[in-house]
Amino acid sequence: MTPERFRHITEAYGASPERWPAGERDAALALVNAGDAEALAALAEARALDGMLDAHAVAAPGPEFARRIVDSAPTRPARAFWRRPRIWFSGVGFVGAGAAGVAAGALLVSLLAPAPGEPAHGGWFEQSYSGTAFGGAPSDWSDQ
Amino acid sequence: MKEEDPDTALIARVGNREPGAIREIVARKLPRIVALAARMLGDRDEADDVAQEAFLRIWNIAPKWRRGEARFDTWLHRVTLNLCYDRLRRHRETTMSDDLPEQADVAPLPDERIEAAHANERIATALAKLPARQREALVLQYYQELPNADAAALMGVSVDALESLLARARRNLRAALADLAQSGGDAPKEHR
Repeated sequence: MTPERFRHITEAYGASPERWPAGERDAALALVNAGDAEALAALAEARALDGMLDAHAVAAPGPEFARRIVDSAPTRPARAFWRRPRIWFSGVGFVGAGAAGVAAGALLVSLLAPAPGEPAHGGWFEQSYSGTAFGGAPSDWSDQ
Repeated sequence: MKEEDPDTALIARVGNREPGAIREIVARKLPRIVALAARMLGDRDEADDVAQEAFLRIWNIAPKWRRGEARFDTWLHRVTLNLCYDRLRRHRETTMSDDLPEQADVAPLPDERIEAAHANERIATALAKLPARQREALVLQYYQELPNADAAALMGVSVDALESLLARARRNLRAALADLAQSGGDAPKEHR
């Protein structure tokens, strides 16, 4: 890094090292750290101009203007029920699941129902249902 | 490896018309757009108009935005610059304009703010005197703080060409500021 190149860099990019070309930043900083008089003079000139540039402020947009911009955005279009495929299909699925449940229930009842002529209580049917966790054993309650 | 665009997720939500995303993108981008346009045009009202137009473009592009094609912020800078150049062309600005935008009357200010207001106006005047491409380079690199490679790409020039534009911009700016100081150009009425 020559002092001439350092001057070119500061004349273009200013005094802040983070704005300098990344590939030359370390070499440029080394020149500054070495106390090169020409580099320090160039840096001071660039810093003075940076200070003047920083004096130029643009007032932030006001909240009313920002609200107008927000209001200019299109809103999400409301869609008719029958044009909402996800909802429509989920409705069909709900009805289908219900119908399947009814069919399965009917099948189960037909399998578990006693055949004509058999006793209403007895066999595995009674054993299966007399001692569930929900119902408890009838004898446990009869003693109280 | 390509750096992930920090705006991608937000743009997708804006494309879905989420009210929260719309408020967020306005909060995030509006000050940057206004600052860019105000410094390019030297006129705050026109800068606000440009910002409104730029946001209409955002609403339009958001549902179609494809991640990875371009950084959203780069696209937005390009759109804003194009809108600024449309207005500059309409004002028949060529390379160096003496027809500066009319300055607003400055209301009486407390003493401590008068010098700041004058300094602000001096820089605005000097910026407006720069050729448009030099002003564009300076605004993108210095005020918008874009990386040098991004600013160069946005302007369609090499980094070396950007460096040359920046050096000329800063040299011209320094000369313009010296002229203004010599002519007492810091008094607001002298610019009208």
